[in-house]
Amino acid sequence: MGRFFTLLALLLPLNLFAHGVSAGDQATLSEGGLFAYLFVGAKHMVTGYDHLLFLVGVIFYLSGLRDIVRFVTVFTIGHSITLIGATYLGVRADEHLIDAVIALSVLYKGFENLGGFKKLFGVTSPDLLLMVFLFGLIHGFGLSTRLQSFDLGGGGFLAKIVSFNVGVELGQVAALIPIVFLITYLREDERYAAFYKAVNVYLILAGVGLFVYQLNGYFGG
Amino acid sequence: MKKFIFGLVALVALSSHDMFLRLDTYFLAPDTAATILLYNGTFDRSDNTIDRNRMQDVSLVGNGQRMPVDTAAWTERDSTTVLHITTGVAGTYVAGVSTRPRNIAMAAEAFNNYLEHDGVVDMLATRRQNGDLGKDAVEQYSKHVKTIFQVGERRTDDWVTPLDYPIEFIPRSNPYDLQSGDSLVVLLRYRGEPLADQLVLVGSDHAHAHGNDHDHSHSEEGEDHQHTGTGMRTADDGTLTVPITSDGTWHLRTIYMTEAAEEDLTHESNWATLTFAVDHGQSHDHAVGANHDHDHSHEEAHDSGLPTFVYVLGSLLLVGTLFFFFNRKS
Repeated sequence: MGRFFTLLALLLPLNLFAHGVSAGDQATLSEGGLFAYLFVGAKHMVTGYDHLLFLVGVIFYLSGLRDIVRFVTVFTIGHSITLIGATYLGVRADEHLIDAVIALSVLYKGFENLGGFKKLFGVTSPDLLLMVFLFGLIHGFGLSTRLQSFDLGGGGFLAKIVSFNVGVELGQVAALIPIVFLITYLREDERYAAFYKAVNVYLILAGVGLFVYQLNGYFGG
Repeated sequence: MKKFIFGLVALVALSSHDMFLRLDTYFLAPDTAATILLYNGTFDRSDNTIDRNRMQDVSLVGNGQRMPVDTAAWTERDSTTVLHITTGVAGTYVAGVSTRPRNIAMAAEAFNNYLEHDGVVDMLATRRQNGDLGKDAVEQYSKHVKTIFQVGERRTDDWVTPLDYPIEFIPRSNPYDLQSGDSLVVLLRYRGEPLADQLVLVGSDHAHAHGNDHDHSHSEEGEDHQHTGTGMRTADDGTLTVPITSDGTWHLRTIYMTEAAEEDLTHESNWATLTFAVDHGQSHDHAVGANHDHDHSHEEAHDSGLPTFVYVLGSLLLVGTLFFFFNRKS
């Protein structure tokens, strides 16, 4: 029993802050150089629960390091394209709407992991690699929206964006290592099936909750 | 375990503890009942109310007079302290709250994190330079907050009246004469003297209406509605020139920290904030009734933010319950 809660406890500090633009972050960026962008990018990823919930969903579905590396790479390529491209071109969307779509990606992954497509619609689920890439693009756009909420100052614009993106990748790796390790470890436990169901049902509920929350913010704002 | 619990408590205690005075609308009609909100948390959300005995001064300045506010006029609405006032004749008004100093003891790591998280980067650099990063701290802190609002059409000079708080922002011109695109020069004073080279965070909630063009400047807004701001430094004469890039509610915030001379303390900090509104996309002669709906819904949207710890605890509870359910079923 303890090991299941070890996973949750390890995820807890990642969630404590939620992700957002804090005064400290802005001060860090204003005072620091490119390393500050790298740091804030990493911090944003590590504390960004919606990105991490989606990745937890992806990792749950996979078995084997090769698969994990493949899917995470595709996700990384996807979000790097929109993060760098949209920020550089100044393309942005309402943060509530983009976060609502990201929430749907969390819901989607939980639904798919539980075989929802087959059970409810009698069809096989869409190609996961393609979906991870598409969701990667959306998550990257969300990250871009967040980056654009900072005052980036003048000069070295592209270098700052790339630094932030590199930070995001480092943060992603840092967050994924314990998650992959623990999920792999838990697979050996006889109660893994129950844990698998519990977490994926939670992903669905969290996705719905975050979606409603963001829409409420959009229409209420 | 003790360290972990201490760290967790310090984290909770230190998170979201900025203080701001806010109004549902900064454009009020004369002789009308109004409320001023004291946020203790972030600019967007109040996490705690403030006890009356913590208030050292609560003042309202209007039409050349400084009026102490009876603390009996405070009420609590959820986590927000609310001051009920009745506006007088037309003019530009200032409201201020100053709290008594309090002490807090922190382990070195927690203290360093707080300095970093709250943008007290000068003290963090000093500690780093002096090799003090490993030293625990006992900090005495106090908060001094102001808001400037407009009643009716007539502009008065009350915005320039200092409240003589240990630290305070004093504008050099009336914020209610500003339009988007102008700049506001603000003087930062500490114990009556200009405070040079001090980091100030400047931000706004830049008025917007869904359904219209979302002209977000995105220099101040965060995902969980922590409107924070751009870091700026005061000049040698203690002034700050703030470019007013958009309509909306603007806020300035600074924490000035020094090493304490008292025996039982290591540091002393004085916190200052200032809030005011620029146009808000409304005609200035629209007072409460005209723009209240828009402003209020905007405020409520921000106030409805779910505290992270509620989300985390709820998630843990939910996953745990689901696990027990599925485990039992299988």
